[in-house]
Amino acid sequence: MKAVILAAARSDRLKPFTATRAKPMIRVAGRPILEYMTESLKSAGIRDVLIVVNHKRESISSVFEHGHGHGLNIEYIVQEQVDGIGGALRRCEQHLGQEAFVLVYGDVLTTGTPFGPLLEQFAEGGGAVAGLSLPAESGEFGNVYLNQEMKIVRLVEKPTDRHLSNYVFAGLYVLPPAIFGLLEKRKGNMELCYQDLIHDGKLYGSLWDGGWIDITRPWHILDANRMVMDRWRQAEIHTSVKFQGHVHIEGPVHIEENVEIGSGTVLKGPCYIGRDCYVGNNTLIRQYSSLGPGSVVGYGTELKNCVLFGQSVLGRLSFIGDSVIGERVHLGTGVTTVNFLGEKRVLGIDTEEGAVDSGRNKLGAFIGDDVVIGARHVLRPGTSVRAGATVEDHFTLKSIL
Amino acid sequence: MCGISAVTGNSDIVQVLFESLKSLEYRGYDSCGMAVVRHGEVAVRKNVGGVDEVNRKEHLSGMAGTTGIAHTRWATHGGVTAQNAHPHSSNNGAFSIVHNGIINNYRELREELTAKGARFVSETDSEAIVHLVALGHQEGGSVEQAFTAALKRLEGTYALALVAAPEPDTIFCARKGSPLALGFSERGNFVASDMNAFLAYTRDALPLQDGEYAVVSPLGARVRRLADGAAVERPHMRIEWDPESSRRGGYSHFMLKEIFDQPQTIRAALHTPREGVEQLAGSILAARQTYLMGVGTTHYVATVGQYFFSRFAGRYLPAVSADEFRELAVIGPGDLLISISQSGETYDTRQATDLAKARGARTAGIVNVMGSSLSLMTDQVIFQGSGPEICVVSTKAALAQMVILLRTALAVGVRSGHILEAVSQAQYEALEAFPPIVQDALNEVSGFVRNLANRTVQYHNWLVLGRGIYYGIALEAALKMKEVTYLHVEALPAGFLKHGTLAMVDDTMASLFLVPPPEEIELHQLTLTAIEQVKARNGAVVGFYFEGDTRAEELLDDGVALPRVPAAVAPFMTLIVGQLFSYFSALRLGRSIDKPRNLAKSVTVG
Repeated sequence: MKAVILAAARSDRLKPFTATRAKPMIRVAGRPILEYMTESLKSAGIRDVLIVVNHKRESISSVFEHGHGHGLNIEYIVQEQVDGIGGALRRCEQHLGQEAFVLVYGDVLTTGTPFGPLLEQFAEGGGAVAGLSLPAESGEFGNVYLNQEMKIVRLVEKPTDRHLSNYVFAGLYVLPPAIFGLLEKRKGNMELCYQDLIHDGKLYGSLWDGGWIDITRPWHILDANRMVMDRWRQAEIHTSVKFQGHVHIEGPVHIEENVEIGSGTVLKGPCYIGRDCYVGNNTLIRQYSSLGPGSVVGYGTELKNCVLFGQSVLGRLSFIGDSVIGERVHLGTGVTTVNFLGEKRVLGIDTEEGAVDSGRNKLGAFIGDDVVIGARHVLRPGTSVRAGATVEDHFTLKSIL
Repeated sequence: MCGISAVTGNSDIVQVLFESLKSLEYRGYDSCGMAVVRHGEVAVRKNVGGVDEVNRKEHLSGMAGTTGIAHTRWATHGGVTAQNAHPHSSNNGAFSIVHNGIINNYRELREELTAKGARFVSETDSEAIVHLVALGHQEGGSVEQAFTAALKRLEGTYALALVAAPEPDTIFCARKGSPLALGFSERGNFVASDMNAFLAYTRDALPLQDGEYAVVSPLGARVRRLADGAAVERPHMRIEWDPESSRRGGYSHFMLKEIFDQPQTIRAALHTPREGVEQLAGSILAARQTYLMGVGTTHYVATVGQYFFSRFAGRYLPAVSADEFRELAVIGPGDLLISISQSGETYDTRQATDLAKARGARTAGIVNVMGSSLSLMTDQVIFQGSGPEICVVSTKAALAQMVILLRTALAVGVRSGHILEAVSQAQYEALEAFPPIVQDALNEVSGFVRNLANRTVQYHNWLVLGRGIYYGIALEAALKMKEVTYLHVEALPAGFLKHGTLAMVDDTMASLFLVPPPEEIELHQLTLTAIEQVKARNGAVVGFYFEGDTRAEELLDDGVALPRVPAAVAPFMTLIVGQLFSYFSALRLGRSIDKPRNLAKSVTVG
């Protein structure tokens, strides 16, 4: 069986990170979310993968190529027009033949492997299967109604407070080739195809109660990172790692090869330090911090609940909390993200369409690739900096002559 | 919930077939059997019991042959007897069949076939299929023609497999509405209702779809559509994932699956034969003293039952816990003991039933498993028909037992003149209308329940409080919570609170109130009073109340509003929501939901 992964969308809501990469190339705990999903497919025996690409497609193909390094056979299908999931699938039709296939939405991340139960349900039920999940954030509701045979009987389009279910589509499906006939009839509108399947009693559910998240806003990257790290039970430290002097480690800390860590540093797991990183003296790296490969952290810096995609430099005496930092970012000495304005203040981010509420009271900064921020800047909660921007050093004193 | 397995190979397959049969046992069983073709004859061995037990009686693994079918049965209709066990054979012995599903036009077929000379030896609908094939074959044509002609006559659902002496190396199988998959291996080719049956031998599989049939030989399989005979070409599936050791049918836990089964369970409990209920009512009316007895969940089922008998039959039927029965109950000739057990094997319940028999009392059972010890030892028995319950924590079986007790109480009430027939009729109507409401509630309320469970996760000490029948429900809800969350949860009558327990209440203790619908004026008011008492001591008060109950909503710190249902079935709605609350609390706490620590499904030892 083959899998189709949808990775063509522009995903503007995840700016600044998606301005320079396809969404599935967002990294958490050091790896692109696409890699988590392909690993999960592999563990269910699926190695032939069609990735539907368009926006920043080279960000995927330059890493995954034809999949041989990942034990996969990858074909790329280009979807240049914006014609939805239906359009993406129609382009895959001739590659899939008359065989059922797995469909994976590119913004979905799970822990564990939901594909086993999904395929098993397909094998037994004999019809299309939709993966169902509990909403990622507690307090949210679902919109999928089930009957006792696990058939999906209804989708509530606009849930009101009177009709709230518990499960949402997880963005994971097994679809029979008959879907292409439906797509033809429904002029490529996938939502209508799902409705038709439900109406005909041909869409079964498969509940997944492992970790699941739909990454649509920048802070979801932090949630996804946390979800992955929460599964870690032990420290994993590569034998090549050099500790210069006393380094205090507690909890499940993952450190990859060729990392150097200065004396006096404290690492509190779960946290992740990718290959070729350098961590200076007396730094404090707290829970849910993820340093992508080749990151450099200067003396005395504190990191807490943040994701660095990699190749970035954080200057000395900085504080980065509840923040996401793209690739090749340079933050000068003493840059501070402010991530908290009191228990009651719900924080948000600025976007081109205005402010968006995150629903949380701790939120740092979201900094795109190749940004340079000079020394001594204090970043307001929810600051978003577009890729490639340069901000001069912040001086409080110039010459007195 | 039966299991089918079939194998055809080039060498003897009996051991393979036997092992695959064993791997289907988890689905629940009360009897099993195998049919093997050898030297142009079909040999059948079958009996009552689990696979190992039947093997001891019938020596299944001592059969020989290269093609065979096997079946584990969970009876829903027809008693648990060797005759009713599968495989079923034609009168000439040349054909043998195993079947899952229900044949709706069975009675017409039976009449027609009997008229043509077929002799039925079982009470099952499945037997009609094999006679259809055999008589069809006599009229000429190939086995395949007779097989497909027979399938076209069937109304209902089936997954089935047939062996035929005239074609000794072939399995004929078909699917409509019940799962069936083919598997291909070196040792032989398989047909099974569940891929667990052959995953030890192969991961090369081809699930059949509804409306397809297959002819399977050691060389391979031909799949065709039944309607037009068109050949079906579909690539095989390679099963590379690790199969679940048992099928949860898409649910993440058996507990959730079984909670979702309840609309069907209520229907089944409502439609168990009326004569059984009337007979039990007759025994109660004839008895000097009747005891209701169970242990654990079934003791709470009995406790809920007390309230039904009190309200509808004007009788006090003490609920006695089976483990205390010997010390407590004064029982003798003229008395009646009603024993309640899901498995029918519970040690304490069997012991107490034995005691009652020894003292000369009449005994009755409400049991889920046909052929179980309790169903054999009691003078009369009602099978609740809930289907196998696999989660250690009982949900659907308990609810079904309550429904049967309610029906019995209504029957006693009507016959003793305590209530009018119309009152009973109204209760039945409410029960008949209830399953779809439950189905909607499971979809629409469970989101609220889950969020409530997430919001209250910091509480490790709970009281569950109710008045009247809601106290019975509280006991059962608290037991569910204990079993799956491992938290300290106690139920007590809300009126009891101020006589001691209130001393424990502080802001670390949460109280869950089961608020009756407002039309139960007195119970409702008493429950609200108890909420105020806890609130005044800074205890957290959460509750399940019915929509439109603004007083409860205002008083409670947090809670879930349940859809309005008639007062007669309202306690059941509260119970179901209590089960969901336990489930989602346990999920949030990361507990082992289907197999809680220290617990076993059926406690068969003392």
